[in-house]
Amino acid sequence: MDIERGIILEKFSNEYFKKLANDLRFDLNDEEIEALKRDFIEVEKQERLFESIDTDGIEPMVYPFEAPTVFLREDQVEEVLSQKDALENAADVRMGHVHVPKVVK
Amino acid sequence: MKIHEQKSFQEARDQLKESQAALNALVSIYEEKEPSKSEGKLAGVPVVLKDNINTKGHLTTASSKILENYVPVYDATIVKKLKEAGASIVAKASMDELGMGGTNRNALTGPVHNPYDLDRISGGSSGGCAVVVASGIVPLSIGTDTGDSIRKPAAYTGVVGVKPTYGRISRYGIIPYASSLDTVGYFTTNVADAALALEVLAGRDDHDMTSSYEEVLEYSQLLNADLEGKRIGIFKTVNEEVKDPIIKAGFEQLEEKLRAKGAILVEKRMPEQYMNLIAPVYRTIANAEATANHSNLDGIRFGRRENGESVDAVMTNSRTAGFSSYVRARFVIGSYSLFEENQDKLFRKAQKIRRLLVRAYADLFKDIDGLLAIAAPTLAPKIKESSDLRFQEASFAEDHMQLGNFSGYPSMTLPLGFEDGLPFAVNLTCRPFEEETMFDLADGIEECTGLAGQVKEVRA
Repeated sequence: MDIERGIILEKFSNEYFKKLANDLRFDLNDEEIEALKRDFIEVEKQERLFESIDTDGIEPMVYPFEAPTVFLREDQVEEVLSQKDALENAADVRMGHVHVPKVVK
Repeated sequence: MKIHEQKSFQEARDQLKESQAALNALVSIYEEKEPSKSEGKLAGVPVVLKDNINTKGHLTTASSKILENYVPVYDATIVKKLKEAGASIVAKASMDELGMGGTNRNALTGPVHNPYDLDRISGGSSGGCAVVVASGIVPLSIGTDTGDSIRKPAAYTGVVGVKPTYGRISRYGIIPYASSLDTVGYFTTNVADAALALEVLAGRDDHDMTSSYEEVLEYSQLLNADLEGKRIGIFKTVNEEVKDPIIKAGFEQLEEKLRAKGAILVEKRMPEQYMNLIAPVYRTIANAEATANHSNLDGIRFGRRENGESVDAVMTNSRTAGFSSYVRARFVIGSYSLFEENQDKLFRKAQKIRRLLVRAYADLFKDIDGLLAIAAPTLAPKIKESSDLRFQEASFAEDHMQLGNFSGYPSMTLPLGFEDGLPFAVNLTCRPFEEETMFDLADGIEECTGLAGQVKEVRA
């Protein structure tokens, strides 16, 4: 086992990755976690590479251009999705609503 | 084929069906022609769309299992524009799942095959769109380019691939990947068709907050291949990194021809330290934006739903079954870079470095009309040998076209030559919203290569 992999194992346990995934509302199996650990060695390297770049006084670039293209419109209803269209793709629809498992037990 | 060469909807549809066994380029095919205008710039032209473009009443999966049953209730703005111009949509093309990948191997329907060698990749993520044009079945297909997803497959399949300026074409109704980089573009077999396609597709759309107000010109009428006195930058940093001697020689021959046409060639370089940052900055920004964008894919209101005892369990089960391992890994990495404790050193840092890279890139364009580079450093890899790089290091010659996404500059790939029967390509980038100049230079380059309209038909 090389040193970097050792550091990753120490820092990131299987449980840590499971939690990351579950917070994003999906699961990872053991094989997927192993692959992610290899990815995180690179993420750590990348972090060190970024650290070596002086960005003092540089603003983050959020979009390519800064010319304004978005404006507030009048607060009037313009386009409405019909109830039929809005429910068209839901897997379970009952009485005009998206149906999900009981929330309040 | 070229846009003006007529082909009926039925003929295109049947040829696409026949091609599936060899190319596997498509997710779904339209059985019947939908209504479109009988007159217009694209009257009667069959067009294929990448499967992340919403088409009312027609399956749109983004090649992801979680959307395998998704049928949009509205058309993307560009679908309306195409129909208004007389085009008929004939199929939806395969892509890397949700746009994430560069090989088109990571598609729900399996890899797409390169018409020049069926054992090789098409490139991705707009791979299906590339090969339906490259095989001469349709003259135009619409894709998206977040980090060279049109220009790289165009290079591997010997066609023209255009990513216009960020904001030029509306993204309303397109399943996103990374919003600060995503650009709609397209494939054709020649520059004149590429110029015409932008006339139809471009323009402000109030439904897309990033859509530009810049004027759209009649690019196809304005085309001028005269290179006399044109100043063309040669991106030496990229070209020197390319190892393949035949591709290098092909580019040098082009340089000689450009000089013979009166162009002034100017050597351009960017520090290697910056070039080596392209891929990490891209991955950081793209993964972070993707994980946020795709949080709405949860199986509740649309898409594939798995059962569960609670709403949380439904979402978790749907997303686990609905996304490939590769995509889930990217979401974890993207989300990690957005954590409060990591944001300043990862996501925000990448955004700052992006600005540094774009400043350096913009400097290259101060005294030139356009910048030329070898598009891809290798021929299309074999399907079996290619890997979707997760986080392994690769040469910046593989990733340099992502500068076009960071900066938003218009950028296109043109076929340049062949090695062992496989195409390689040149990439041309210009200043923002200067597509007219880009098409003019491309027209001159195309005269040099003599490769306008080339296709590789595949017999079933």
